[in-house]
Amino acid sequence: MKFLNLSGFIGCALGVALGVGFSGTAHSANFIIGEHTPLSGKLARVGTGSHRGVVTGIKVLNDMYKGKHTFELKTIDDESSPAKAVSAVEKLVSENVVAFSGGYASGIIGPASEAANKAHIPYITFGGVATALSQRGHEGFFRINSAAGYGKAIIGLVEEMGVKNVSIVYSNKEATLKMAQHVEKKLTKDGLKISMHEYDSHVQDYKSIVNKIKLRDRPEVIVMVGYESEYVGILRAAKLLKPNVKAMVGVWSLATGKMAKEFPDLMENVYGTAMLPFPVTFTSPKQKVFYDAYKSNFEGEPSYLEQFGYVQTRLLGEAIIRANDKSQLNLKGISDELRKTDEETISGRVRFDEHGDNPEFVQRVGQHQKGKIPLVWPATAKTGEKVFPGTPWN
Amino acid sequence: MELTAQAIFTGVLMGGFYGLVAVGLSLVFGTMKVINLAHGELVLLAAYIAYAVESQTGINPLLAMPIAMVIVVGVSLLTFYLTNGIAKDKELNSLILTFGLGIVLTNGLLMVFSADIYSTQTAWFMEGVVVADTLFSMRGEIVAFVVGVCALGALYWWLNHTWHGRAIRSVSSNREAAKLMGMNPTKAELWSWGVAGVLATLAGVMLYVISVIHPPIGHGLTIKAFIITVLAGMGSIPGVLVGALMIGVIEGLTTTFFQSSLAGLSSMALFLLVLLIMPSGLFGKKAGH
Repeated sequence: MKFLNLSGFIGCALGVALGVGFSGTAHSANFIIGEHTPLSGKLARVGTGSHRGVVTGIKVLNDMYKGKHTFELKTIDDESSPAKAVSAVEKLVSENVVAFSGGYASGIIGPASEAANKAHIPYITFGGVATALSQRGHEGFFRINSAAGYGKAIIGLVEEMGVKNVSIVYSNKEATLKMAQHVEKKLTKDGLKISMHEYDSHVQDYKSIVNKIKLRDRPEVIVMVGYESEYVGILRAAKLLKPNVKAMVGVWSLATGKMAKEFPDLMENVYGTAMLPFPVTFTSPKQKVFYDAYKSNFEGEPSYLEQFGYVQTRLLGEAIIRANDKSQLNLKGISDELRKTDEETISGRVRFDEHGDNPEFVQRVGQHQKGKIPLVWPATAKTGEKVFPGTPWN
Repeated sequence: MELTAQAIFTGVLMGGFYGLVAVGLSLVFGTMKVINLAHGELVLLAAYIAYAVESQTGINPLLAMPIAMVIVVGVSLLTFYLTNGIAKDKELNSLILTFGLGIVLTNGLLMVFSADIYSTQTAWFMEGVVVADTLFSMRGEIVAFVVGVCALGALYWWLNHTWHGRAIRSVSSNREAAKLMGMNPTKAELWSWGVAGVLATLAGVMLYVISVIHPPIGHGLTIKAFIITVLAGMGSIPGVLVGALMIGVIEGLTTTFFQSSLAGLSSMALFLLVLLIMPSGLFGKKAGH
């Protein structure tokens, strides 16, 4: 009898534990989503933006399922370090997270998502675009963007410009290196003359690189594949040396309101990928839901980082709910539900292929124009005409 | 030819700035045999104070120097008191202590100023200067170079021609003997940390006017300063200038003729080569002398 009582007690306790936390029951449940993100270290700026998006996603999910289910976010700062990201994932796994949303930089996401895969926990991100990430055969790895989407935008813009000679300046980090090589390959195939210039993120002075481009390459367009502080250094050097180019094009982290505000003298006429123009007006119902939730927690205007972080978290949350309803709250269940996603989100259409990549992802291109950033590519998304030729100094 | 000239010109300008960053670390290392691994963060702290003053008041960031100096010298002296309190294995434990302080400072800056990148809004510093029709630089870089060389010159003069300077040198060369001659070594060390704080302030404000600041860059500055300090020879001010110029020029030439991503490697190769030939550094005294 005592044994029965004890087993009954254990059974009840297990039932409660599984029901509240990570169970596959269809009853009201609290779902814990884990996030490792760089809130300090070199990637703190982008990590903070991504984190804000994830927080906004959690808020919207809690509003959507109020009275039915709740979502809880557990975040650990990975300090921009792959080793700490792995530790963060392992710790969060021990705290019963049902899935991961977050991570930034391919070099960090790689080992972190590997750890998540070993623990049979799905992982969704937008922060790493290295192609290899989705080729590892992980059932639970998903990302709402891809290198190809950024590449398409840059290649499309350069092709539209009709130039013949392009210099690519790129950081030697994995994602930027791969992106630069991808753009080089495609443009070379199109018959353009491409010169490549690699740099390290510790470079203090970009004049020597830009001078080499100016005197040796004499390109019509300079494409920059790097991060914010590096763009500022390159643009400063270019503004000083004034190479005879028709356009300065950057990839991510450039066509943002923050850059327009902080460096107005350097940004004029510079191109960068962007999903929405700046200043943005969130008018559609989906956009308004995001914007209102964002503004209830944070000041300032959201950038693409916040938008992507929000979209991936909301899609993940909805997949978790569907898997839970089918009593399949596990790697396979959540992954299957994520694969059924096909939605027009505030960051464009999202659906996932067999590798977990979003084949629909195409970035747009914006151009800094007098403190604003209209979208100038592709034609279907245009909110303004590009100023071409045009550089910050000309 | 034009490329080579520009590479050397850029390298020399950067070298002047590197010298300014390194000399504070070199001074403290020479006096106390303490490697202040928070030195880069002190430089960065000054840069952020310049940013705060400029963004809040709209004044020229150079005018932020007095405020930055008070704060940075204060933090530098606090670091001195903390390291001075280490009773055992000071050289090793001070490394751990200052490394920890550097982390605290970086995260403090991150909390206060966020992870965003900042640079001066004063357009004057960004305007171009063209020398002999072929050499380009920003005004800010010329200012940083001049400030760097002048600061190193002034420090050299101060160490050789003032009572406090001589006291620091004597404590640096033989602490016990200096004590027997009636000097107070703690006071001399306090002076060297204070002056290192002043130099870090100058370097920080210059950093702000020539470059972009964000919290993680302090550590890189410390490493650069440490390499130059060792390359120079312990506590040698002329060595710091020569070492910094060598590093700046080799980086400029590597970027121009090879790849920018190899610049760090080439400066490290130069560093190792010099130490192989001259184990005490460029201007260091040989052991036993």
